[in-house]
Amino acid sequence: MQKKLTLGFIFALFVCVTFLPIVWMFGNSIYGDGGFSFVYYKDIFLTQKYIKVISNSLILASITALLSSFVGIPAGFFLAKTNLPFKGFFKMCFFIPLIIPSYTTGIAWANLLGKTGFLNNILSQYMLFSPESVSNFIYSIYGASFVLSINLFPVIMLITEYALKNLNPRLEESGLVTGSVFRVLRQITLPLITPAIISSMMIVFVLSLSEFGIPSLLQVNVLTTQIFTQFSAFYNEKAATAIALPLIAITFVVMTLEQVYLQGKSFEILGRRGSNSTIKYDVKWLSVVGVIFCTLVLIGCVIIPLSTLIFSAQTISAYHDAILLAKRGITNSVLFGSIGATFLTFMGFFLGYLSEKIQSRLRNSTALFIWLFFAVPATVLGIGLIKLCNRPEGIFQFIYGSLWIVIIGYVARFSPLSSRIMANYLKQIPHSMEEAGTVIGASWYRILGNILLPLQSHGLIATWLISFMFCIGEMGTTILVYPPGHETLPITLFTVMANSPANIVSALSIIIVVMTLLPVGVFLAISKYLIKSQIAQ
Amino acid sequence: MNALEVKHLIKCFDGKEVVSDISFNVEKGQLLALLGPSGCGKTTTLRMIAGLDTQNDGEIWIEGVLASHGSKSLIPQRLRHIGMVFQDLALWPHMTVCENIEFGLKAKGLAKTERQKKIDAVLTKVKMQKYANEYPSRLSGGQQQLIAIARAIVTEPKLLLMDEPLSNIDVKLREEVRQEIRRIQHETQITTVYVTHDQEDAFLLANKVVVMNAGKVEQIGNTEEIYSFPKSLFVANFVGESNVIEVKIVGKDKVSTPWGEFACNTKGHEKESAFLFFRPHQARIEKGGQFDGVIVNRNFVIDGYMYRISTSGGEIKVQDLAKYEVGQSVKFSIKKMEVLFF
Repeated sequence: MQKKLTLGFIFALFVCVTFLPIVWMFGNSIYGDGGFSFVYYKDIFLTQKYIKVISNSLILASITALLSSFVGIPAGFFLAKTNLPFKGFFKMCFFIPLIIPSYTTGIAWANLLGKTGFLNNILSQYMLFSPESVSNFIYSIYGASFVLSINLFPVIMLITEYALKNLNPRLEESGLVTGSVFRVLRQITLPLITPAIISSMMIVFVLSLSEFGIPSLLQVNVLTTQIFTQFSAFYNEKAATAIALPLIAITFVVMTLEQVYLQGKSFEILGRRGSNSTIKYDVKWLSVVGVIFCTLVLIGCVIIPLSTLIFSAQTISAYHDAILLAKRGITNSVLFGSIGATFLTFMGFFLGYLSEKIQSRLRNSTALFIWLFFAVPATVLGIGLIKLCNRPEGIFQFIYGSLWIVIIGYVARFSPLSSRIMANYLKQIPHSMEEAGTVIGASWYRILGNILLPLQSHGLIATWLISFMFCIGEMGTTILVYPPGHETLPITLFTVMANSPANIVSALSIIIVVMTLLPVGVFLAISKYLIKSQIAQ
Repeated sequence: MNALEVKHLIKCFDGKEVVSDISFNVEKGQLLALLGPSGCGKTTTLRMIAGLDTQNDGEIWIEGVLASHGSKSLIPQRLRHIGMVFQDLALWPHMTVCENIEFGLKAKGLAKTERQKKIDAVLTKVKMQKYANEYPSRLSGGQQQLIAIARAIVTEPKLLLMDEPLSNIDVKLREEVRQEIRRIQHETQITTVYVTHDQEDAFLLANKVVVMNAGKVEQIGNTEEIYSFPKSLFVANFVGESNVIEVKIVGKDKVSTPWGEFACNTKGHEKESAFLFFRPHQARIEKGGQFDGVIVNRNFVIDGYMYRISTSGGEIKVQDLAKYEVGQSVKFSIKKMEVLFF
């Protein structure tokens, strides 16, 4: 009973902060003045302008998914299947673009390729490009796709690497007995990991579709920016909601397809059974190609953007000015991030338990339902929360005017992610660990406190730090919901971009990058310590 | 009074019946083995007894109290006073041996001094006193088994359930742990249900064996009954090495076999199809043997050789001390046989 009540309460809470705002928002957009009206939807679907916006969004997401796979698949392959030198270093560096907020990479590349940018100068001086054409490129769908690919290729890389590493080596070995390495790669390995690759491309597609930061920064007219414009500039919340409909419909359909496509497919095949090693392609020239490829990716995706920001900041005083300017933003970000991460870890644990541990037919559907909300675009969620909380009644008014609206925004946006992380950790605990406590006569809370939570300490820390990292960088929802005086660092950056010199913007970007990378460092240090102490036991 | 009674238990997964109308009981202090091949429903049955799974129909009585009826659990799992040893042992890796054992006592609300007394007693019983402060990962496979048993019995449960506890350890250690289980069960007299697919475990440990196949009970009996008088073709083939040959009773104590007619106790039956059943060691290769055959295969076994002999009635297995060559024509006799009616 304790278990059912707790899990039921957490699930209801999740529905209240994610599902309810969206349903409320759509309900409001079609109901008003005592009747139903679809006038805004008619506008969206029948106006050429919006058709163009929808196609822009689809083009952006498709190109990003393709470009990310061009980089991510080979990178994943080199990391998993070759004896690449400095493998650990490359892998750690390739995480950076995924971890840091996408708009910081966007700022860096806009600085480089903008009209007065360093790379723009080189390209226009030594090649046939005009400064305008280079600048037009970065401020276009293609430029936005290029920057987004830099941020999202690690998703495809990670999933490809995971799939390749978990491939049952016996399947490849049986091919190697009769065929060459490359025949095995072409005819056995690649077909087996195709579901995982397609699934990762679908995830990148959805993430690009719901991205707000980069299109907004590079002035690309897509659904997310249109929603923001309609809501913030024209105060037309119903039109904003109507524009959100195709966006949310596409993301939900793609995410559902991804889950359905993956079900019973890849992990059955990819399940490692009784094997203990991964087949490596021990070909020297392949390692050389790998090093060259990974070095180029490292330069393009990590070194160039970060060094551009560092060089653009120019002086130490820029950091000083940036800190003075963003003092409140920094404090708020750390405070809101910490509270948000704590709630996210709490929710993530129980939602992860629901997705992974309950013995019910509804388990898979529950997991899919929770995961679907990761695809809800930040701006849509922001409007939903405003619609739900902006009312005169006591508690809503309190939430709407305080930091809690931002925290709820974080929880709504990232609890599917934190639940997925926790579910993966919980998966590693056999059911029998909990059952052993149950048959002995312990209550569920006792089992929770003495068995499940201690066994999950590593997972809880990881979830907290990853959640903190995402909260720190969150902009899409916060920019819509933050009450006056509660702006976070990304919001300060967004404001500063409009009215401060470029060096301050770059310095502020570097501060955000450091603040997001710091938890990762802490996590790695704690992991190392925990592994050491486990070995000592 | 029976310590455990299982009546007409049915369990379905996705509409498929995995446990079909099974019934059995265990007397107080006895060890009952649920024996059967993988997937026959024995672990599911054990989990229903523990309350970890709920049956679709049937009743489970523990010490005369109805624990579950139909698809309703009347006594929740944690109040059934059951000890369980899991297949993977499920020792909590972040707790020491002492803490693992103490967990159940704490859950029962026992005072610190009483808990310590019980922990010392149970560790003495399983001869693991000196490992009280070790973490499970520091113990050998056999020691972990004993700690899992200690954890399960420390609360003095009404029933001890063991789910293939020896399946993950090597043959030599298995024998030692089996002896320990036997001793501990004998000393504590805890009513035990022991799930296994290994006949040796079942035959060496159990007072009573329930042979299961495809969710059904094939036979219940003591080890001797199961071995010597199988009640189904499945039991005859599953338990030990055996020969089962289809025969026809052609008269009083007279059977017609593929090798010809001969006299045999037909248990009063006169005209009926039946099966002739004998174990490999109940036949002998000898010069003046009754039947002819050719040896097609020979394997060394600890007490002699196991031969496969091709006969006019198909292949049979015969165990003999003497060594014969493959391809050799031999004569054999059946020294002891049963006519069974399935």
